[in-house]
Amino acid sequence: MEPEVLEAELILPTYLSFKRVQTYEKYPKGQARGRHWKHLKQILQAENYQNYPPDEPNYVNIESPPSMHPCKRICDITGFEAPYYDPRTNLRYANADVFKTVRSLPNEYVQRYLALRNAAVVLK
Amino acid sequence: MPFISQIDRQSDYNLVSPTTPIVIDNGASYFRIGWAGETDPRVIFRNIVQRPRHKVTGETVTIVGDHNPALMKYFDCTRSGPRSAFDSNVVYQFEIMEYILDFGFDRMGANESEIDHPVLITECVCNPVQSRSKMAELLFETYGVPSIAFGVDAAFSYIYNQQHGVCNRDGLALCPGFTTTHVIPFVDGEPIYKGCCRTNIGGFHVTDYLKQLLSLKYPYHLARFTWEKVEDLKMEHCYIAQDYASEARLFQRGVKEAEEKTRCWQLPWVPPPTEEPPSEEEIARKAAIKEKQGQRLREMAEAKRSSRINELENELHGLEFLLQQLEQVEESDIPSFLRDTGYVSKQEIDSARNKVTQSLRKAKGEPKSEQTETEKADPLASEKYSLINIPDEMLTPEQLIEKKKQMSLKSMSEGRQRLKQKRYEEEMQRERKQQLEEERRLENPELYLEQLHAKYKDLSERVDQRKRLKTNGNHSNGNNLSGGVGRGERLNAAQRERMRLLTTAAFDRGKGEDTFGAKDEDWQLYKLMSKDNDDDDEGPDEDEAELARISSRLRDLDPTFVPRLETGSSQPAEAPRIRPLTKEDFQIVFGVERFRCPEILFNPNWIGVDQVGLDEMTGVSIRRLPYKDESLEERLTKSILVTGGSSLFPGMIERLESGIRMIRPCGTPIKIVRALDPVMDAWRGASAYASASLFHTQTFSRMDYYEKGEDWLRSYQLQYTL
Repeated sequence: MEPEVLEAELILPTYLSFKRVQTYEKYPKGQARGRHWKHLKQILQAENYQNYPPDEPNYVNIESPPSMHPCKRICDITGFEAPYYDPRTNLRYANADVFKTVRSLPNEYVQRYLALRNAAVVLK
Repeated sequence: MPFISQIDRQSDYNLVSPTTPIVIDNGASYFRIGWAGETDPRVIFRNIVQRPRHKVTGETVTIVGDHNPALMKYFDCTRSGPRSAFDSNVVYQFEIMEYILDFGFDRMGANESEIDHPVLITECVCNPVQSRSKMAELLFETYGVPSIAFGVDAAFSYIYNQQHGVCNRDGLALCPGFTTTHVIPFVDGEPIYKGCCRTNIGGFHVTDYLKQLLSLKYPYHLARFTWEKVEDLKMEHCYIAQDYASEARLFQRGVKEAEEKTRCWQLPWVPPPTEEPPSEEEIARKAAIKEKQGQRLREMAEAKRSSRINELENELHGLEFLLQQLEQVEESDIPSFLRDTGYVSKQEIDSARNKVTQSLRKAKGEPKSEQTETEKADPLASEKYSLINIPDEMLTPEQLIEKKKQMSLKSMSEGRQRLKQKRYEEEMQRERKQQLEEERRLENPELYLEQLHAKYKDLSERVDQRKRLKTNGNHSNGNNLSGGVGRGERLNAAQRERMRLLTTAAFDRGKGEDTFGAKDEDWQLYKLMSKDNDDDDEGPDEDEAELARISSRLRDLDPTFVPRLETGSSQPAEAPRIRPLTKEDFQIVFGVERFRCPEILFNPNWIGVDQVGLDEMTGVSIRRLPYKDESLEERLTKSILVTGGSSLFPGMIERLESGIRMIRPCGTPIKIVRALDPVMDAWRGASAYASASLFHTQTFSRMDYYEKGEDWLRSYQLQYTL
């Protein structure tokens, strides 16, 4: 190891005296250990929230509902108010100038702009 | 950068009594750890772990938090980016969590066999019990912590600010954090989780949105937009617009106010070295070199010529000698004599001699004896074409054939003569013209030179224009925005026009009423479309010849004249004209982005999160409260505290006030305050809480954890008012 790396104590030591179980004992090296953690979705599924009264707050039911206000539409490219919508690319645009750019955009960029608002075509 | 990691190892760990709790604010962006009762955490670092490979030794190492990027050059980070233990504020990867806790305790100075201090650690609102129990297990089993308490960061921040008189016992805590935004109502100092709500949007999304927008706007500067840099840009420049629509309109109209609000980030840019025109000496030197080379070439050619003449003369002598010898040889011996020489007959030798004499003459540069030939031909003409004037009836078939031959021969020679005459006349004319010009020059040299220059310029422009049109160098057509080099780019103007006609004919028919053919002009279209319509190349040739003449003349007369660089045909392919990069190309301009990105906190559906925004969340939260009590609602809206990292955007409070006013009944008292320190208050509140004498009543030990089981842990809730 380089001296400056050691000096900065960049690297977490593998042995720490205050630990009862060291990391290398818990997760032995070179041993196929698979995935030992669950995704958030799996965790939530395992919680079995449906077995509890619905008025009891839990991680899932405290989520906010969709908005009641009409959605403000903005131009995907400039961020101005977007009265128009291009049916070919599905992008919203503010004026004729932006429309020109929209039509000259390569499809990859169109998809990336759409992906920003989670509207891209996802091929599976 | 407003947030700076603080990772120096503490030395006073052993001096602290074991009853003093350790307080950890385990936020999705930053991890803060310190002693209860103190005002500031001891150690702060970004809650991320990297596991790169050391380049020299090849071993995988663990690096927690942010470090000096200069040191990262020793590691190969290509296969593992920074990882977080969080997903939407819930800890789910406990291996990573363990590294982070290791680092935190290590930097606190822990060096005993276990962590013998009670721990207060924050979690998100309504943390799933699985995550909570895993965390408890980790702390108990691995670190040997005697007792644990879990609390909510936003609640600690609210309590802290309440103690400092910023907000009341009843109120709302708005907490736009890193990955989520929470609203928690407080009644009598206790959070009411029934009335709380969460939107999965936060500072992370703002930074990500800004990063994406910038990289789409400036694809060629993609490498500049690192996460850290964009985070900095967000903190420095982003603000929340009072009214998004009107603010955007300002920018759309491009008024002065908008210009003032536009920020510009100049990337490092070095102007390309300007090419200086070559100096006099340089030109002279180049000319001298050229002259020298020319001289050498001429010498070489001369040497070659003389050697060839020599060769030819030798051959000629040899042949003449052979002929002389042949004359002395007897008729009958000729074949045997010739066998040695390789010639078959005397005639062959003769013709070979003729050939050699001719090429010798040519090599010596003597003019071909055409004149003599024609003169020779003239007297012979009458006998050569003897049969032409005799009518056909008087000739035999053989003679008829001969006559035809003679006729064609005659017409050919006559044609030649005429051509020669014409050439001669042209020569005369040119000479006359030159003489005229010379006279004009002598009359007024300056004027003449000027005229010549003007003519040269005009002509060269015309030639250039033609060439450009032909190779389509001009970029005037409007469809070139994409800068592509498709088929349309390669065609010349005429071909492109034809293509356009064809496509319009193919696609625009059938739209509306078909009136094609109603007018006679319509049919002209087919003429235009036909392929033979292409330009022929006669025109430019004349121009080019004239141009060459004038430039040579100018070169003779004007020593300062430098002919223009030849473009087009002399170069095999015209290089695409590249606009030189300017300073402006290296500027990142933030206009609308400054307020567009944080606006997603209020309009999460702009990034595809179909949930209410920050202002509406207060309404949702109040509606969710189990009791309908107008005076309570008024009390709540009178004390709204905004805390959390994303509340630092300028304009946040004003915007929230107008937003909340819109959803609350008319005349509702509304008071919104920002927390004293939206980033640190959660830890400070927790520190104050843990130092209270009754704190130990809120903790649970390892024994409790194993005895009471998961159901108890699920309903475990801290009491914030002690």
